[in-house]
Amino acid sequence: MKKTPLVFSLVKEQSVFMTIVISAMTFLAVLALGIALSVGTGVARWNNEWNKYATVQIVNPENSASVKKILDTNKDKIEYVKEISKSEMEQMMQPWVSNGARLNNYLPQMFEIKVKNTSDIPVIKEQIASKAKFLKHSSALKTSISAGWKLVGITCLILSLILISIGVCVSYISRNIAMLHKHELEILNQVGATDKFIAHQMQIIVAKISSVACLIGFVLSVPVIAMILSTAHSARVGLLATLTLSGGNIIALILLPILIVIFSVYITKKTTIKILSRS
Amino acid sequence: MENKTTISFANVSANYDNGHDVLTDVSFNISGGAFYFLTGASGAGKTTLLRLIYQLHKPSKGTIKLFGKDCDGISHDDISQLRHKMAIVFQEYSLISHMSVFDNVALPLRVRGFSSEKIKKLVTKTLEWVGLGKYANSYPVELSGGQQQRVSVARAIIIQPAILLADEPTGNLDDENASRLMELFIQMNKLFGTTVILATHNKKLLDTYRFPVITIENHHVTFSGATNETNPDLRKWKGPKPQSQNDFIEISKQFENIGKA
Repeated sequence: MKKTPLVFSLVKEQSVFMTIVISAMTFLAVLALGIALSVGTGVARWNNEWNKYATVQIVNPENSASVKKILDTNKDKIEYVKEISKSEMEQMMQPWVSNGARLNNYLPQMFEIKVKNTSDIPVIKEQIASKAKFLKHSSALKTSISAGWKLVGITCLILSLILISIGVCVSYISRNIAMLHKHELEILNQVGATDKFIAHQMQIIVAKISSVACLIGFVLSVPVIAMILSTAHSARVGLLATLTLSGGNIIALILLPILIVIFSVYITKKTTIKILSRS
Repeated sequence: MENKTTISFANVSANYDNGHDVLTDVSFNISGGAFYFLTGASGAGKTTLLRLIYQLHKPSKGTIKLFGKDCDGISHDDISQLRHKMAIVFQEYSLISHMSVFDNVALPLRVRGFSSEKIKKLVTKTLEWVGLGKYANSYPVELSGGQQQRVSVARAIIIQPAILLADEPTGNLDDENASRLMELFIQMNKLFGTTVILATHNKKLLDTYRFPVITIENHHVTFSGATNETNPDLRKWKGPKPQSQNDFIEISKQFENIGKA
């Protein structure tokens, strides 16, 4: 059934203004959520991946045999063990110490391991800890991961601010509509309309405008999010390259404009009932 | 309609927004089915009294009871429910300019959630009754003052109110249109037992129709004249009749349906 408000006619300028404001807000909200979700997914994947890697450093050569034995005993839990050769270590040290070969006598014996399950890491670590240094790769990268989560936090904060702004704008516009249609509101009151009924009339108007506005905002934000992800992937390595949106993320992005419409309609109801209760 | 007290004022006082007294210590009871004129000088408080009854104005003191219900501190929704049994007609018509005559008259029914089919039937009949059948699709600005006032009356009576309040409804009308309106109000009162309170300072109306009169003077209310609307001395209006009796009977049947809805 076609929903048409009984009384209210919205002047063109006002409906255009409301459409532009909610479109812009929806655009920013979807963008903020898109960034938060892609960074969040990237960080989670990045963290999950490096959680399976660890480096074992045998500083005391006397413990070498016992560490190797422990690694052998846990063969079923380990996907691979790779001993890092002295030359590889020299190569790694080169950027900081020219001709890393001079450190030859000080370099520990090192193994890089990858376990099958993240839960195996603490088991192996407990066995090796007294004999060698056991460093989780994710611990070494925790600053990147922490920066990623902070970025998610900041974008969520921005998203909250945008949603608050939408609430304030819709409330302001609803108030304006009510003021503009004061005469009609009075007549509705006179013919026995309940506050709920009058609020419902306002909700129909706001639902129509915000649905169109949210659709515009969403459509505009999609190519921008795609551009951000494509630029991030062009970094090829590091956390940026892992930014992505899962199927669930895309559903969340589609749901956001729908939630904004519901939120706008709810705010309209609250505002109108508040105005009517004061009249 | 039962002949019991419909409107009861007990020691009611009311102020204007600027704090000046309008009514002081007003007490009266009005039974269902009565027809009263309300008169007094300009600014005496006629509109305020009607607004108090219609719950558009809160008394500063005293108790107002409508249909036996104490209106002190009642909620907005309860007021709306009370207004389902009342209607008010203002001098300035109070029509919505961007809505057609049909939609203006249909408004109270839409607010009550009537079906489109029923609304169409009732509005068409009511418009015919007030003599505006062919103006259903017109807009208020396209009508004369008298016609607009009849639209306003049609909107008020379409719900067959138990109380009909009219604030100077004939104030902007010539004698012919004023008499047409009076006929409508009298028919409502006689046919449905609607309690009518009609504010006017039109001497001619007061003299023509000898209904009891409520006079507001010096912030107080006095009653005069016969207290029964079936007063045999009531002068019969000899002016033009706005609609046929058949239309009236037919719409009466439709109104019965509203009561059952």
